[in-house]
Amino acid sequence: MKIDRRSFLSFVIGGAAGTALSPLPWKLTDDIAIWSQNWPWTPVPQKGEVSYLNSTCTLCPGGCGILVRKVGERVVKLEGMEGHPVNDGGLCTLGLAGTQLLYGPTRVKTPLKKVNGAWRKISWNAAIAEIVEKLSDLRSKGLPHTVACISGSDRGTVPELFNRFLTVYGSPNFMRTSSIQDSYELTLFLTQGVRAMAGFDVANADFILSFGSGLIEGWESPVYMFRAKSTLRENGGRMDQIEPRLSKTAAKSDKWIAISPGTEGALALGLAHVIIKEKLYNKKFVDTYTSGFEAHKKLVIDGYPPDIVSKITGVDTATITALAKDFARARKPLAICGRGKGYIPGSLQEFLAIHTLNALVGNINQTGGIWAVPEPDYISWPEVEMDKIASNGLQQERVDGAGSKAYPYARYLLGRLPEVINSSQDSPIQVLFVTTANPMYAMPDTQAVAKAFEKIPFVVSFSSFLDETAVNADLILPNHVFLERYEDVPAAHGFPKPIIGLARPVIEPLFNTQHSGDVIIQIANELGGPIADAFPWDSYDACLEETLADKWDALVEDGYWSDEVFSAADWSTAFETDSAKFEFTNEDIESLPRYNPLKAKGDEAHYPLVLIPYDSMRLASGHIGSPPFLIKSVEDYILTANDVLVEVNPATANEYGLKDGKYAFLRTPKGNARVKVRVFDGIMPGLVAIPRGLGHTAFGRFLAGKGVHYNALIGPVEDPASGHDAAWGIRAKLSKT
Amino acid sequence: MEKENSKKFGMVIDLDKCTGCGSCMVACMAENNIPFREDETDKLLSVSWMHVYRLTNVKPFPDTEECYLPRPCQHCEGHHGHSPCVSVCPATATDYDMDTGIVSQIYTRCFGCRYCMAACPYHVRQFNWWDPLWPDGMEKSLNPNVSVRMRGVVEKCSFCIHRYQLAKDQAYMEGRREIEEDEYQTACTQACPAGAITFGDLNNPKHAVYQMVKPDKKNGGKPKNPKAFRLLERLGTNAKVYYLSSREWVRRAGDNYLKTEGQAKHA
Amino acid sequence: MDSALIPEGVKRCPTWQFIIWIGVVGAVMMWGVFAILLVYIKGLNQTNMNNAYGFALWIWADLTVIALGGGAFFTGFLRYIIGKDELKHIINYAVLIGFICYSSALLILGFDVGQPLRAWFIFWHANVHSMLTEVAFCLTCYFGVLCIEYLPLALENRQIDKVPFFHHLSHNMHEIMAVFAATGAFLSFFHQGSLGGVPGVMFGRPFGFREGVLIWPWTFFLFTWSAAAGGPCFTILITKITEKAVRKKLVKDNVIELLAKISGWMLVGYMVAKIIDTWYWAAFTAPSKGFTLMDFYANNPGSVYGIWILIAEIGVCGVLPALILITDKGRKNRIALFLAVLLAVLGVCLNRWVMVLQVLAVPVLTFENWAQYLPSWQEIATTILPVAYGIIMISLSYRYLPVFPQERELNPIEAPVSQTQEQLPEPETPPAGAEPEPSPSGS
Repeated sequence: MKIDRRSFLSFVIGGAAGTALSPLPWKLTDDIAIWSQNWPWTPVPQKGEVSYLNSTCTLCPGGCGILVRKVGERVVKLEGMEGHPVNDGGLCTLGLAGTQLLYGPTRVKTPLKKVNGAWRKISWNAAIAEIVEKLSDLRSKGLPHTVACISGSDRGTVPELFNRFLTVYGSPNFMRTSSIQDSYELTLFLTQGVRAMAGFDVANADFILSFGSGLIEGWESPVYMFRAKSTLRENGGRMDQIEPRLSKTAAKSDKWIAISPGTEGALALGLAHVIIKEKLYNKKFVDTYTSGFEAHKKLVIDGYPPDIVSKITGVDTATITALAKDFARARKPLAICGRGKGYIPGSLQEFLAIHTLNALVGNINQTGGIWAVPEPDYISWPEVEMDKIASNGLQQERVDGAGSKAYPYARYLLGRLPEVINSSQDSPIQVLFVTTANPMYAMPDTQAVAKAFEKIPFVVSFSSFLDETAVNADLILPNHVFLERYEDVPAAHGFPKPIIGLARPVIEPLFNTQHSGDVIIQIANELGGPIADAFPWDSYDACLEETLADKWDALVEDGYWSDEVFSAADWSTAFETDSAKFEFTNEDIESLPRYNPLKAKGDEAHYPLVLIPYDSMRLASGHIGSPPFLIKSVEDYILTANDVLVEVNPATANEYGLKDGKYAFLRTPKGNARVKVRVFDGIMPGLVAIPRGLGHTAFGRFLAGKGVHYNALIGPVEDPASGHDAAWGIRAKLSKT
Repeated sequence: MEKENSKKFGMVIDLDKCTGCGSCMVACMAENNIPFREDETDKLLSVSWMHVYRLTNVKPFPDTEECYLPRPCQHCEGHHGHSPCVSVCPATATDYDMDTGIVSQIYTRCFGCRYCMAACPYHVRQFNWWDPLWPDGMEKSLNPNVSVRMRGVVEKCSFCIHRYQLAKDQAYMEGRREIEEDEYQTACTQACPAGAITFGDLNNPKHAVYQMVKPDKKNGGKPKNPKAFRLLERLGTNAKVYYLSSREWVRRAGDNYLKTEGQAKHA
Repeated sequence: MDSALIPEGVKRCPTWQFIIWIGVVGAVMMWGVFAILLVYIKGLNQTNMNNAYGFALWIWADLTVIALGGGAFFTGFLRYIIGKDELKHIINYAVLIGFICYSSALLILGFDVGQPLRAWFIFWHANVHSMLTEVAFCLTCYFGVLCIEYLPLALENRQIDKVPFFHHLSHNMHEIMAVFAATGAFLSFFHQGSLGGVPGVMFGRPFGFREGVLIWPWTFFLFTWSAAAGGPCFTILITKITEKAVRKKLVKDNVIELLAKISGWMLVGYMVAKIIDTWYWAAFTAPSKGFTLMDFYANNPGSVYGIWILIAEIGVCGVLPALILITDKGRKNRIALFLAVLLAVLGVCLNRWVMVLQVLAVPVLTFENWAQYLPSWQEIATTILPVAYGIIMISLSYRYLPVFPQERELNPIEAPVSQTQEQLPEPETPPAGAEPEPSPSGS
């Protein structure tokens, strides 16, 4: 057949029409739409049987009960446990994002050893053998006290195992990360003679006077405080926030009283002045159950009249007087302190000043007051038997100076460690264990801390994550994350009752990790002798079950055990001081340096402004770095791209020619950084505020490199009364770029 | 049309209690398989069904006040279910359910024209500008009750409607026709540490949400409680998310008023 | 080389010149195609749109080209239904421009949606309440009509016309063109209106929202009206630019002036309606939602959306061109006429910009700020693409099809001197560089 134009055209047109009429194009159109609905790179979550397991969150000391929702073998979500005494169904941002820590890319998946600056995978046996060799060597040289441990807590079986190990090995150098726990413990010890934890019955108070405590920004047990604050509000209670910056807590208070930072103690003494002068204090309590009142009265009457206090604090006299009267006249007034989340211990004298306000109104161990909650006592392991090396080692002074003549009352002074190491020729610490802590991020003056850690010959990290400390360690022995392991949570910070939570494995460990408790037991066993004898358990789990004894079943069943009927000791028996009374002052207190507002470091001429940190529930600033969901929730006025915004008052911005949203240079005596400026009405003139929890160098691409690290800009200020870090800020300069 | 036994699920958020902590946002992200990227600081490119706004009274130091306002989808009823977004969707990918009062979104039907985003004055609708990707292993935490969205579609808060379905299934298996108030709660309600969010059936006088706001059925669901208000009440969106505040400036910030108009008429 | 394809009795530039010209414009078009590929492969993150600006440059371009393409339906309406016979001398070009505009609009919609592979759901799962559904159906049908209207012209190519079948087809189609013109006018009325309904029905967006009649907000009618007024202006504008580019008179003045006059009166009517609408909106609609007029125009960054925009739209680009076009003197003055149609076209562009972008920029929640937007290069490239495509289509059609029935009469090849003062000593086609510039609004 000859193909002419006509037949060709007919063929083309006919073919086109035929194809269009056939099902082919329609089927293809449909198929391609179905494909677009099922793109292979868009994950489809696997279905499976749904189960809920109770456990306890260990990401902060809050002690929240959680329900873990599993689908098949996957952990899908963490939710707050309804009916739990601490959080009753609620959960904080970090806890809710917990699955991202479990499955996230920042896990340490196997033991790692640093060889010539690079990580090399190593077997558990080899890793433990290496530690055992180091430790045996030090012991044989009579240097057991050069082994130290930094732990996020000193309560509960795991910290106690570490502590026990150090003790029987021969080192006094177990150190707990410092926080307001230290200051509150000292305060209760000095005034009430008890070794106890402070609990706050916020829910039943009717007037909370907070000296900068971030009650809704993660102070103490965050979710408990949130709930308590809501109950306070429902009951018609009032809350006043004394703080230089309009924090969320300040914004959610009935009154925000802006104060010059660092002078909160003076204001407390000024309030005491008015309360005593106007005879508004609780006469029954003060007359019967306290001592040292006259001395205290003299101190505040002579030294802290409202006009002087006003000059120190910047709060006007009328406000001081009115506040004092309102506080004293409230039915259940409660004064609390410890700035922000309470990660910095602060000035002991300030704590004493504020705590004595509670004594003046008689709200100690009362409903709606501050309670002395006994420390958990369920761990009663047999006494360790020590050999001579161990006894000698334990007689050495603690390297951080806690308990020494200079710092007689402090139990741990981790804050002093970097300076001690940096000022020695050779590091007084040869081997350092770090567990549930990230000191290289969380301690002030990051540079000095890094220098000190550099000097320690052998740092072992027990972290589950590649955090800053782990990155700089010599060996990482990764712990299971909290969803993969058993662990007791011996208290909920700030919760007014004793409570024990149980974290438990809801999933088989994903990686080649081991429980730190097991690792310690194994190290002890390999070291042999009395050290091995001190650890008679086959495994950590066995140790835990045995330790919790009669509480174990309840813990497994409910996820927590609490002393429902607990109430704080009656005034007649509450005080274990020499006078058996609450002591406004006593010999010990008298021997301490007097209250004096602590100054921020730095020369005012060079650094005209003052940099203060602030906390946010949307930024984890403890040893855990914020998982992606948390960073995602951070407001765009805090972080934009990788730049942090620092807050300044419009007047300050004007004075220094700073513009909202524009870059500026922030300089402090400790470091400098490029930041962006946020002009904010809710901050006192002369201040610069920066959020905590940013500026990580570790924790992977979702967190590292975002913003500036506050601790890199600040140095510690030693509290003359306690030896703890009491820095609330640092002098700074902010200039246009 | 609305039937005799129709539900009207709604939410009451007590702004006096809300602390702006962000738990609602994170709980929602975890429950609803919200994707995340390295840089989420441009909130206009970020997907987050719940967003917490910061309101201020615009006064200088030291009289500055702030308030935090969580904003889920308002599940507008509009006029007879013609919410701003539902009526504009050309492909019926979003719908107002007369039985529950929930505005749904069918991700596989949405083809990404974004008309609904333009129509929504609350910015609750967000677009998947990127392919949602999870770092290796993190896809294990995805919830099978909520489908993962693909690039190029609009998504928004669903009042955790999958939880309603699960609760109904459970009730059905137990031989019950109705579910209890606490059997269906959204993830944000459940997580809120301050207890600021209450969720329930606005048609049911026994439910807490009803008692808190006392919706005026004859008046488009306007709250009778003078402390309660809805966002942009005057637009006639007829939203089902109510806010409570004891502060006048906060209530007034919920809507637009002419300068000549005196104090807000919320109730 | 291609002389066999060129209509008889007209002169066209040398082939090599034409190829260079097409090559240059084609390169611009390929830039746009590259951007489209990026958008397809990587997704809409290639744009600077965001959750506040779900609609942006593309939707504006879409609405604008459809409005400006309105010259096709309205000229057709005048020619075939009203019976303004003179307009047959420009109807081809009007249809061509319409065809270009509408195909561009469909192209833009093809990459503007997030899931183009299932964009047909708009038909399959159609929601009758949505203005976009109405737009999609009418737009697609009307594009079909435009194809049918354009086809006879394409068939008139010298070589195609030689095929008897096509010759007869073309002839017969001419006969029944009135039916299609009527269909086109009907469809256009609805989709132009529905596009106006897009912002008009958004009762959550007080800047766009309008009351109306039955289901149609006032913007429905305003959009149709402005398209009917502005579309022919665009046809005139492009005709004038083409004449400038090829240095020939192509359409007689009386035809242009007739169309200009009708446009002028349409514009007058539109302006009256628009001013009443604006007044009513500012005085009643907006205040009932708690907004004053100045809430929509004040305090935005850089005054991008200052009150100037309203003055420009209604005064400079509305009333002024209307007044020029309705006066005999204005129409007769070449510069005034050109200015008037240009302003009218800009007015339509500005109106569509405001009704798409400002609607979204205005904060509605009291605690939000003005949304800001600058298009990305990908958006700009893809928006310029239709312009380049239009130029190529016009160039091809002009070269190979008898688009302008009066061209031969106005430019006799044998006797150049007898013609108008426009003629150059050498009646050659100009160099490539003098071809039509992309008009500000796309073609």
